[in-house]
Amino acid sequence: MAGSFLVTIRIMSSEIKNLEITSDLELGRDFAIWEIISVVSSGLLMEWVVLSFAGRSKLVGGVPVVLALGFMLYSHFDRGETLREIGFRTDNFLAACRLLLLPTALVVLLVITVAWLTSHSILVAPWRNRFMLLPLWALFQQYVLNGFINRRAQLAFGKGAKSVVLVAVVFGLFHLPNPLLAILTFVGGLIWAAVYQRQPNLFALALSHALSSLTLALAISPKLLESLRVGFKYFG
Amino acid sequence: MKNPSTRLVHVLIGKSIVETLVVGALAVFTFITVLPPFFHGWSEVTETGISGWAVNNVSPWERVEVQLFVDGKFVGDAIADQSRPDVSAAGWAKDAWHGYTFAITSVPRGVHEARVYALHDSGSGMRKSLQLLGEPVLFSVDASGKIWPGPS
Repeated sequence: MAGSFLVTIRIMSSEIKNLEITSDLELGRDFAIWEIISVVSSGLLMEWVVLSFAGRSKLVGGVPVVLALGFMLYSHFDRGETLREIGFRTDNFLAACRLLLLPTALVVLLVITVAWLTSHSILVAPWRNRFMLLPLWALFQQYVLNGFINRRAQLAFGKGAKSVVLVAVVFGLFHLPNPLLAILTFVGGLIWAAVYQRQPNLFALALSHALSSLTLALAISPKLLESLRVGFKYFG
Repeated sequence: MKNPSTRLVHVLIGKSIVETLVVGALAVFTFITVLPPFFHGWSEVTETGISGWAVNNVSPWERVEVQLFVDGKFVGDAIADQSRPDVSAAGWAKDAWHGYTFAITSVPRGVHEARVYALHDSGSGMRKSLQLLGEPVLFSVDASGKIWPGPS
């Protein structure tokens, strides 16, 4: 009698532990979604609200960016993620480049073909010194998009189509209301998110991103791309 | 990867609160900059048109630019720099030179609504905003073209 009672207690205690583990996992997944929402809302807040209110004040405009960046860094620290896990690494750089080579080359060729067909020239827009910063800007965007959002999307939905599409939708969303740019970044987002899930290397992604952006900026008429303006700035 | 700690949850909530406060502060700052609540004034119907006064309480020596709209359509603008000793005597302004007059000549017969707005520049002239002075004024124009206060 006492033995069977003890067995029952042990089974119950093991079930409670299982429930706790399941509940912890669910909490981790749910919170990952909140983390994505929080970072995306900061970006949209900056593009649509702060820039429209604060105008040229970079100090005020930078508040949501600093908050989001601070939160992302703390989240990595809290979850025990290393720089290597996030994608700041070199060991898989070539492997990631191999995966990116074909889609990047296709995008570059497609852009050049469209430029040639529409304006009979490959270089439509002038070179600007700010293009020199493109690799850094691309690395920052890829860190946010894949180093953070993609990793949290994988926590919430696992590897595969769901999380890849979510990352692409977020990237496209950041480029609204510029219609052409939103479509292009959605497609780019799909490619980069899928590659990141196979070979998480942010340097390779930034290289592909910078090359594609540079080709777009130089080959496609600034009028068609509305000078790459997004958010509230798109209107003026 | 570890599960999030309670501290991370607190950081996320804190970040949201700070962002809400920043947006709220920006909204108030923008409202005060674009539509400052410092303009005072009044409009009334006279025999020839619309007259009144306008004062910017933050800059009481400034002559306020005003615009007249009749039935929602722009009619004209003027600087409120005419003598109105009654306004300064009543304590609304520091000096008497805050009056304006708009002559109404080409408004058809019937009942109309006049609104006089104070014009305000902000953002180093990048933005201009209009603020209603006093209340909208109803007036009628008879067959002879004479202006009367009120609907008839």
